[in-house]
Amino acid sequence: MSDASLIDELPGELLMWVLIISELLVFGVGLIAFMAVRLTDPVGFAEAQSHLYRTGAAFNTAVLVTSGYLAAQALHWRRAARRGVARLALIGAALLGVVFLIIKGAEYAGKAAQGITFETHPFFLFYYLLTGFHAAHVLAGVGILLLVSWRDDPRNIEAGAQFWHMVDLVWIMLFPVIYLLG
Amino acid sequence: MPTASPFPKYSNRRFPNALTSTWLSLLALSLATALLTLLSAPPELVGAGILILALIKARVILARYLDLAESPAWLCGFTMVLTGFSVVIFALYLI
Repeated sequence: MSDASLIDELPGELLMWVLIISELLVFGVGLIAFMAVRLTDPVGFAEAQSHLYRTGAAFNTAVLVTSGYLAAQALHWRRAARRGVARLALIGAALLGVVFLIIKGAEYAGKAAQGITFETHPFFLFYYLLTGFHAAHVLAGVGILLLVSWRDDPRNIEAGAQFWHMVDLVWIMLFPVIYLLG
Repeated sequence: MPTASPFPKYSNRRFPNALTSTWLSLLALSLATALLTLLSAPPELVGAGILILALIKARVILARYLDLAESPAWLCGFTMVLTGFSVVIFALYLI
């Protein structure tokens, strides 16, 4: 199989896949760095991790997975020329993204109330950098989902949904490493 | 004579039931992760289980939501890289 035909196998726009692979690599390197630094102080990392709100983060996993489902359904419905329900699904996906951000904001507020900052421990430096960078992607994704619900060409919706699934994918790998592997 | 699809690069296998079953399986895997953390098993086993479940979820998203099930070579490539990533994370966890 030639390189050209292999690239042609990718669904949707090639540039979106370049973005997806780039983002996965960035977060992957960040998480490996997190685990490497953990080796310098495993007890301190475990103690710091015990301050995290695991239930909220686990709930956020279900929120993002459900949001991704709505984005996937929106593309299916748009291809079936059901524009109205596709738009509603995209708006629903975006609203769930907002729910994710509200829960994340409450988590950050809780840390701030405890006096926990970037400088408290190296664990929290990685925690804020990685989860904050991911939350920025969620915020961008909410905007993209709303944009493609308005400019609802199927190719636009496919690109928007792909971005959203990438955000979902990053969280699926980030959540266990930051929140669960103590 | 069959008519050509107006979206030739698009997937033909996006059926609502398939998407719904994918969503339910992701929720079930997330619930399994939560239950795993409640077990009083050795942390190494729990850690391995958590990473394996995350890997399965990632592969489901790649295959079903990002449509790589139709591009087996790419799905295999992504799976290999994610598996390598999980092995590195687990190795660092065990040290």
